[in-house]
Amino acid sequence: MTQVLIQGLMLSGLYALIAVGFTLIFSVGRVLNLAYGAYLMLGAYVYYYLVQSLHMPKIAGMVLAIAVGALAGWLKYKLLVKRLNGDAVAIEISTLILAVVLQSGVVLIFNDSSKILLPIVNGITRFDGVTITHNLLTASIMSWLILGGLLYFIRYTHMGRAIQAVSMDTKGAQISGVDTEQVNQLTWMISGALGAIAGVFFASYTQLSPSMWVTPLIIAVAVVIVGGIGSIVGSLIVAHIIGFMEISVSTFIGAELRGVFTMLLIIGVLVIMPKGLFGREEL
Amino acid sequence: MALLEINNLEAFYGMAQSLHGISLNIEEGSIVGIIGSNGAGKSTLMDSIMGLVNTKGSIKLEGEELTGKKSADVVKLGVGYAPERAHLFPYMSVYDNLLVGGITAKEDIDKNLSMVLDLFPNLIDRKNQETGTQSGGERQMVSVGRALMTSPRLLLVDEPTIGLSPKVCLDIARALRKLNEETGLTILITEQNVNFAMSLASHIHVFETGELRLSGPTDELRSNPELAKAYFGH
Ligand SMILES: Nc1ncnc2c1ncn2[C@@H]1O[C@H](COP(=O)(O)OP(=O)(O)O)[C@@H](O)[C@H]1O
Ligand SMILES: [Mg+2]
Repeated sequence: MTQVLIQGLMLSGLYALIAVGFTLIFSVGRVLNLAYGAYLMLGAYVYYYLVQSLHMPKIAGMVLAIAVGALAGWLKYKLLVKRLNGDAVAIEISTLILAVVLQSGVVLIFNDSSKILLPIVNGITRFDGVTITHNLLTASIMSWLILGGLLYFIRYTHMGRAIQAVSMDTKGAQISGVDTEQVNQLTWMISGALGAIAGVFFASYTQLSPSMWVTPLIIAVAVVIVGGIGSIVGSLIVAHIIGFMEISVSTFIGAELRGVFTMLLIIGVLVIMPKGLFGREEL
Repeated sequence: MALLEINNLEAFYGMAQSLHGISLNIEEGSIVGIIGSNGAGKSTLMDSIMGLVNTKGSIKLEGEELTGKKSADVVKLGVGYAPERAHLFPYMSVYDNLLVGGITAKEDIDKNLSMVLDLFPNLIDRKNQETGTQSGGERQMVSVGRALMTSPRLLLVDEPTIGLSPKVCLDIARALRKLNEETGLTILITEQNVNFAMSLASHIHVFETGELRLSGPTDELRSNPELAKAYFGH
């Protein structure tokens, strides 16, 4: 029981971090960024290359991975999303294609075998018979800090309120003097950066592989659908539902089934509550 | 020079043209009314001033061309807008809605906030309420308040009385008049409610299917037989 509680809490923090960058884009741009999982892959591989191949310090690897993620988000907005001018289906299809192209790129550069990303933090602690890796513990603490910082930014700064405003009423934001172009660029950059951080932690929790963008994308989509996007707070809650569900399933039923229940949950919510548990699309 | 000079303005939604050769001036310190029935082009005129619609022709604020500018820049130049249906941020509090309005006038936020709460005292107790749960009248007040947070020299108000009780209409009229008298703010207001517009405005322009039909001082238009026939039914 303690095991489920502790592991569930830590995994949920990681899932919340994975989902929040995706939620941000859906709320502001009204589009599902299906290449979101590719940011995680990009961040993870950049970190792997810098730290495990070039032996750069971990912190430098992390900072550069984040910068690459932010740049990728910005480029995607500038080169693709903006040009497709709000056509959600076209954006979603092209983002999915982009993810597949990136996957091929990763295979080309790193080959298609999976790789172990060494723990960002070494060591384990035993607590009440439960093994806690310091790596996942750090990942979840970092998740909480980052999510807290993001919530503060969104709620209490001018730029953060502007992002909320665009997500709730674009015309209202424009006529209040919000530069919606600037908000869009910034949102895509933040989303890319969050994806890259989440990717490094996610890869150190699982492993590095060219198809590693799929699982986090499913988690993010699940959070979006089950939460009905909702607020950032809404996605935090849903990330916990999914995190605890997966840990319970793998503890009490079988590890192979953990992802299946997440997908069943997606379908169940789609059928029973199409608007999701929280039922709104704004931040 | 008038504060706002509109010259031969045409507005387009795709292929459809919604304004045809509109020319009018708004003098600094005045309240000007635009009346016209549904679809006459009142909101299109205001959206055109804000840079939200494709236009031809010219719109100048104190000589500076506004056409081709994005809304945020029009706001910075001094145009505040309380649009039809308010376009508030429904899951944000009254206070946060007002703060978003202050984004281009950060140094004036404290001053403008106390001015807005002074103008609409019933918002004081509701500062933390989400605007999505408010009544139409309260939302209209937040909408005007948010526009005032931009420190405007020209305030555009689009059909503020739609769906509101006579009592709330009076409150809003009182607030707009007070603003104009005490701060000299220039106000352009559109209305289907002719009496409301005439009670406030010194000048009236009558729109019909995207064209300017009649213009003049309110006192003269009141006795204009064409207008009387169209709007007062006698
Ligand atoms: N977003 C839009 N797309 C296409 N046509 C529009 C749009 N908004 C307004 N129109 C058209 O422009 C004309 C003027 O509308 P509008 O300015 O809203 O009138 P009013 O505010 O006086 O009721 C109408 O014929 C209306 O159908
Ligand atoms: Mg209108």
